Amino acid sequence: MAGVNLSGIIKRYGAAQVVHGIDLNVAEKEFVVLVGPSGCGKSTTLRMIAGLEEISEGDLEIDGRRMNRVAPKDRDVAMVFQNYALYPHLNVADNMAFGLRIRRMPKDEIATTIAETAEILGLTEYLQRRPADLSGGQRQRVAMGRAIVRHPKVFLFDEPLSNLDAKLRTQMRAEIKRLHNRLGVTSVYVTHDQVEAMTLADRIVVMNDGRIEQVGTPMELFNNPANTFVAGFLGSPPMNQMKAQLTETGARVGGSEINLARPINGHAGRDVIIGIRPEHVTLQPGDQTTALPISLDLVEPLGSEALLHARFAETEVVFKAETHGNIAHLQGVSEVHVPAPLVQIFDAETGRALSLEH
Amino acid sequence: MVDRNTGIGGNPVEEVVIEAGEALRDRAKSYTPDTNWARMVDHFKREWQLYVMLAPTIIWFIVFLYKPMYGLQIAFKDYSIFRGVANSPWVGLEHFQVLFSNEQFIRAVWNTIKISALNLLFGFPAPIILALMFNEILHATYKKTAQTIVYLPHFISSVIIAGIVITAFAPTGGIVNIILGWFGMDSIYFLTRPEWFRPIFVGTGIWQEAGFGSIVFLAAIAGVNPSLYESAVVDGANRWQMMWKITIPSILPTILIMLIIRIGNIMEVSFELVILLYQPATYETADVVNTWIYRQGLQSGQYDLAAAAGLFNALVAFVLVMTANSLSRRFSQTSLW
Repeated sequence: MAGVNLSGIIKRYGAAQVVHGIDLNVAEKEFVVLVGPSGCGKSTTLRMIAGLEEISEGDLEIDGRRMNRVAPKDRDVAMVFQNYALYPHLNVADNMAFGLRIRRMPKDEIATTIAETAEILGLTEYLQRRPADLSGGQRQRVAMGRAIVRHPKVFLFDEPLSNLDAKLRTQMRAEIKRLHNRLGVTSVYVTHDQVEAMTLADRIVVMNDGRIEQVGTPMELFNNPANTFVAGFLGSPPMNQMKAQLTETGARVGGSEINLARPINGHAGRDVIIGIRPEHVTLQPGDQTTALPISLDLVEPLGSEALLHARFAETEVVFKAETHGNIAHLQGVSEVHVPAPLVQIFDAETGRALSLEH
Repeated sequence: MVDRNTGIGGNPVEEVVIEAGEALRDRAKSYTPDTNWARMVDHFKREWQLYVMLAPTIIWFIVFLYKPMYGLQIAFKDYSIFRGVANSPWVGLEHFQVLFSNEQFIRAVWNTIKISALNLLFGFPAPIILALMFNEILHATYKKTAQTIVYLPHFISSVIIAGIVITAFAPTGGIVNIILGWFGMDSIYFLTRPEWFRPIFVGTGIWQEAGFGSIVFLAAIAGVNPSLYESAVVDGANRWQMMWKITIPSILPTILIMLIIRIGNIMEVSFELVILLYQPATYETADVVNTWIYRQGLQSGQYDLAAAAGLFNALVAFVLVMTANSLSRRFSQTSLW
C-alpha cells in the first residue's frame, strides 16, 4: 500500500490553466473523494495521478517516489473508468486477465487470481459472458475486478457509478465501501455526486474552478464549511444562504434579528452571509432558538420528511421538517426556529467562514 | 440566497429523452387508423418529406438497374436489333453452351478469378494497414499531409493513371527501367509481357485506391472508445499491443462488412483499367470476363452472347456474396443483412 502526495500540481492546456496548484496528501489505505461541479478539474487531477495527462508543474509522489515522468504502467495504479472501458470483444475472464497477460503473469496464476476476484465480486457465473450480455451493475463489477486483479498500490475511480440508475448506484456504492474496507487499498475517487462523496470518503476534497476549496472528513465539511461554495455544494437540499448584517447581539436579516449565541467582538455592522442548513430548523421553539417568520410557498412530501419551500427576508429558502406520516400540520407553518449554535457565518465579500474570535 | 443550485440537479439528457418518449407516445395516441390503408395514408401525410428525399435514389435504381434487367432475356434469345428484344426467338441455353465451349471465355473467367484473388490478398489488407499506420501518427500536420497524398490517386481519371503506369514502365525513359539500369539490368517491356500484367495491375489498383479505401477504416478506428486505450495504457500495454488487442478487434465488424462487399464485386475487375493497360500480347493473363464481353458484345455485335456472359458473371457474384454473408453471420455475428 502507498500514499499519494500532490504538491503544487498545475495543469495547462496551451495558455489555459485548468488546475491551479493542488496540494493534497492521501494517506496509506485512505479513501479520498474529489468532488466538485463539472469542469472543476477533479478528473484532470485524477488523470494526472494515473499518468494519462502530463503534469505541467508541481510534484506527484506515489509511495514516496516522484512519478511525474514515470509511465502509467510503472506507477502501479489501477483505474476504473466512468464508462467501464471493458473490451467488447473479450469475455469477462479475458477482460479481467488483460492487464495480467500484458505483464506476462503465468497462466495458472492468472486463472487463480481471476477466480478469487470473481468470487469476491460475485462474477463467477458470468466469467464467459461478453460485456454486452451483462447489466450495468455487472459491467461495473467487472471494471472493478480488472483493477483489483492487478493488486495495485492505488485505486483510481473516475465517476464509476454515474452511468448507473439511482438504485444500482446505491448498491454499488455500498459494495465499493465494503471492498475498500476488505482490501484496504489507497483510493482516490472522483465524483460530482455529493451523496457518493459523503458516504464513501474518509476525507472529501471539494474542488471548484481548478482549486481545492476545502479538505476534511464528511462531517467536518458538512458542519463547518470553509466557504459559501462548500456550504452550497454539500448537503441536499444545500445550505440556505442569505445576506445579513452583524449587530451587537446577532445578525439582522431583513426585518428579523437572528440570535448567534456567540460574542460579536467588534464585528457589529459587518456585512455577512449567514447559512442555515435545511435540517437544522425546528417547528417548535427550543433552547437558544430564533423564530424566523416565513411565507410558505410549497410543501414537498418525501415520506418521513417534507421540504418546505418558502420565502424569508425576500430570499427563497428550503427547510426540512418531519412529517410523522402526515403533512397537514405543515401546510400552515408561518415560522421556523433556528438554533443559534448551528448558524454559519461567512464574509459577504470573500465568502469565507468567519470565526468572530477577535 | 446564494449558490442555491451549485449542487446536483436532474440530468438534462435524461429529461430530453423522457420528453421525446412522451412526445412519441402522445403522437401514437393522437391517431387511431382503422385499416392498414388508412395507417399508410396517415404515415405518408406525416413523413412525405422523407419520401421526397428518397425518390431520386429509387428512380435512379429503377431506371439504371431494374429497367435494363428487361434486356437480360436476350441471353436466352437469338437477338436481332431489327426484331427487338421482345420479338427475337428463344434459343434456351444455347448461348451458355457456346460460352462454356469457348476457350477464350474460360480463360477470361480464370483470369478474372486470379486477378480478383490477388486483389483480395494484397488489395484488401492494404487500406486496413494504411489506416492502422495513420492512426499511429501523432503529429497532426504530418498525418493530414500523408493522408492527402495517399487519397489523391483516387481522384485521378483511370486514363491518366494508365498513362502514368505506361510511362513509368516504358522500356526507354520509364522510371522503373531506369532504376533497373542502375543495377546493371536490361530493360524490360513490362506491358507486353503476360507474366507482368497481373502484378502491375494489382499494384496500380492498390496505389490508386488503398488511400481512399482507408477512410472507412479510419472512421471505424475513430469510433473506438478512447477509454479502452487509456485503460490499456494503465494496464501496461504498448502501442503494438493496443493495435492488436484493441484496434483490430474493435474494427473487425467493419473489416468483415467490407470483405463481404469486396467478395460481391470479385467478378468486377476494374474494366476500364484493364482495357487501358492490356494489349493482344497480354490477353493470355489480362483478358477478363468484362473485357471479353466488351469485345464480343460491342465490337463483334454479339449482344446475346455478351448478355449470357454478363448474366453468368452476376450469378457468380450473387452466390459469392450470399455465401460470404452467411459465413460471416455464422462465425462473427456480423453481416450485411
